[in-house]
Amino acid sequence: MLKYLGKRFFQLVVVAFVISVLVFLLVRILPGSPAQVILGSSYTKEAAAQLNAQLGLNHSLIIQYWDWILNIFHGNFGQSYINNETVAHELATGAPIDLELIILSQIVAFAVSIPLALTTSRRPNRWFDNVSTTGTFGMLALPPFVIAPIMVAIFAVNLKWFPATGEVPFTQAPLTNLHDFILPSLAITAGSIAVYYRLLRSDLIATLQEDFITMARSKGLSNRTIMLRHAFRPSTFSLMAAAGINIGGLLAGTFIVEYLFAIPGLGYTLVVAVNQRDYLVVQGITLVVALAYVVLQFIIDFLFTVVDPRVIRE
Amino acid sequence: MANENEITRRSFLSRSAVVGGAAILGGTAATSLAGCSSSSSSTGTTAAGSTPGVGTGTPVKGGNLTVGTLDEIDGFYAASNHWDTSGFLYANAVFDPLVVVGADGSFQPYLCESVTPNAAFDVWTLTLRPGVKFHDGTALTSTVLMNNYKALIASPLTGQALKQVANVSAPNESTFVYNLTAPNPTFPFALTSQLGYPFAQAMIDNSTKGGVNKPIGTGPFMFSSWEPNSHFTAVRNPNYWRSGLPYLDSITFRPIPDTSQREASLTSGALDMIESSDPGTIKRFENQSQYQLVDSRTGVIGEPTMAFIVLNCAKAPTSDLTIRQALAKATDQATIQKIFGAGFGQPVNGPFLPGSPYYTDSGYPTYDPSGAKDLVNKWKAANGGKAPAITLTTITDPRLAQVVQIIQQMWKQAGFEVAIQTIQQAQLVDNLVIGEFSAITAYQFGNVTPDLNYVWWSTTTVHPPGQISLNFPRNSDPVLESNMLTARSTTNTATRVAAYQTVDKQLAKDLPYLWLEQYLFSEVATMKVQNFNNLVLPNGQKGYSFDEGVFFPTQIWLNS
Repeated sequence: MLKYLGKRFFQLVVVAFVISVLVFLLVRILPGSPAQVILGSSYTKEAAAQLNAQLGLNHSLIIQYWDWILNIFHGNFGQSYINNETVAHELATGAPIDLELIILSQIVAFAVSIPLALTTSRRPNRWFDNVSTTGTFGMLALPPFVIAPIMVAIFAVNLKWFPATGEVPFTQAPLTNLHDFILPSLAITAGSIAVYYRLLRSDLIATLQEDFITMARSKGLSNRTIMLRHAFRPSTFSLMAAAGINIGGLLAGTFIVEYLFAIPGLGYTLVVAVNQRDYLVVQGITLVVALAYVVLQFIIDFLFTVVDPRVIRE
Repeated sequence: MANENEITRRSFLSRSAVVGGAAILGGTAATSLAGCSSSSSSTGTTAAGSTPGVGTGTPVKGGNLTVGTLDEIDGFYAASNHWDTSGFLYANAVFDPLVVVGADGSFQPYLCESVTPNAAFDVWTLTLRPGVKFHDGTALTSTVLMNNYKALIASPLTGQALKQVANVSAPNESTFVYNLTAPNPTFPFALTSQLGYPFAQAMIDNSTKGGVNKPIGTGPFMFSSWEPNSHFTAVRNPNYWRSGLPYLDSITFRPIPDTSQREASLTSGALDMIESSDPGTIKRFENQSQYQLVDSRTGVIGEPTMAFIVLNCAKAPTSDLTIRQALAKATDQATIQKIFGAGFGQPVNGPFLPGSPYYTDSGYPTYDPSGAKDLVNKWKAANGGKAPAITLTTITDPRLAQVVQIIQQMWKQAGFEVAIQTIQQAQLVDNLVIGEFSAITAYQFGNVTPDLNYVWWSTTTVHPPGQISLNFPRNSDPVLESNMLTARSTTNTATRVAAYQTVDKQLAKDLPYLWLEQYLFSEVATMKVQNFNNLVLPNGQKGYSFDEGVFFPTQIWLNS
């Protein structure tokens, strides 16, 4: 187990290093000098010299990388050239929003897809299974940028149940915050529900054909026990893998929903920063999101070993 | 056609750029010449029959006003940040301008008690109001104004707009003097821009430490919190120098770039008020009984903001007048307005609209597809038979993408080869400044006086492509230059009007700009929001309440 995890951790470190180098080179591969691009029409030789010194661009690439990585280990990601906020502040305010969106959407996705898959896989190709499969297929075809305006039109503009945009911070008013996050979370939930349901359903159907399930049935165990104790766990492998990729994708990948609901999560902040050429913000967010993605995959790998210890031997 | 993001980072200059000037002009004359309102008040509708945005009944204290804005600002520091429409909205909450525009188009003292010129109009003396304090408790003095000036002049951004100031002096703590390089009777209008919003010494001190994101002004509201791209909240200043004001407890601005989401937020009750530059907003909220609408279809003082295409006069093939004439004749302004102007368009032949004294039949080419073809053929014959190739640049905005596609078709029909280039907003501004374009979409020129456009049209601000040029099209025309200088150097109204009409005609002849339509701003508020379009100045006079999407929150109150 430790050897397996050690190997995975080593891979994580290598990938993290490669990512940091690529992100570091992001600013350096810009056409023209970074100072010219960042300063734009405010460009003067003096301002460029000052900026180059500030960015450490007057040193060799290796020294620049070393200084940059050291600063990051000290929590110094630099400062936005647009609004003077530190990138660390942008991360600290944006990340909780993404996390909350992801957690809420995934809770709903699992809460809907798992019971549905457990129910329909017992009697595949019956009317309920067909309706569920068709329904989730439709959900898969509806991207968040289609669902969000429809939900806003119905639940915000007409029924006035939820705000169309914005959110109150969780620390300020937890209940209002949860209320404000319902529509954005639901807008990104649909796709997850469809994927999780279809994967789990097909894996459960396959598992239910296994000999150990026949054995369990012959022992007279109830359907509930068979489904929850014996069939569910070995059927969650694909679900976990998909959840890992999906959640990783949602880190900063929810920018369309954040944009439509005017919620400044990491994705929204990143898109705005890209549009404004706010390179240090782009650099900081990209690095953190990429590292978070890698760490998440490491956690998923670890969970695989818990669900199925054979993974270690393989 | 209206796009809410274009040139936002630099558009503040259209309010701040005043360069040079000459001769004598009395206060009354300044009033009549600077302000050229096309009607007495902004267009507005309300089902209740009352004037929209003008409060009725007794003002009520308390409450929070939440306003949806077009975009986020880049900061509060007037010396380095780029204030656009949203920037001035934020600024009017936490700062006060030294001078404001009156409802009659004149300049009026606001934070200062008086603004007085010498006989030659090359020395302007400001007398500060006594007892005005910044939010940190420090006093507004001429020493602070002096340090403000030093910060502004040192900035590559605002320094250009202060080139006309030879030096400043502070004879005592309540007097501040601007000595100009040349007479300029409309100089105080420059102080209605971000050049004239005093900030506390602490902001200057913090500017080198990156700590300018907490504005410290003298305004009706004090900074509470700012989360970029989320919200900016300011709370009532209990020590505000205007007794009894403001009425609101707090004000929150929320940037929501998407028009439909902003409108949905208003109708869902998440916002009390929105600003918009989409003509569709006017159409959707006009005559709705639950909302008050104020817009810039009429009531604009001076020049309205115009949407247009900038043609590069220093780069082939648009450097050739024949090509620019062909492009102008090939562009069907009426069709573009019909499709994208929500039915509110009117023919535009220059920077001035009918109703302005400077408006004239400029001779701007009308839509003439066969004439355009003839000109293209003439050009082809002189250039080896090859069709002229134009790159039409715009930003990643869905509405603008549709507009440029239609224009592309119009130009193609005339015989041009047209490629569309879509770039980010920031890059568009940089391309304009350094001249990396042949044709590019833009909006600009919303000024209370045309004198403020000198920097955009002057031969002195033309530089070749690759160098920074505030004359974006790089149209170097001595006739324009001399007439702009004449306009500002005369006390004779007729001479000034004639000079600006000549400018108008000369722009139509040179064709650095292909005019598309007036850029319409609007504000929509729920019925509980009172008095957002009724600025009363400290001297009791009416102020210019709705200046191209910008209002003052000082006298707003909320009905229950």
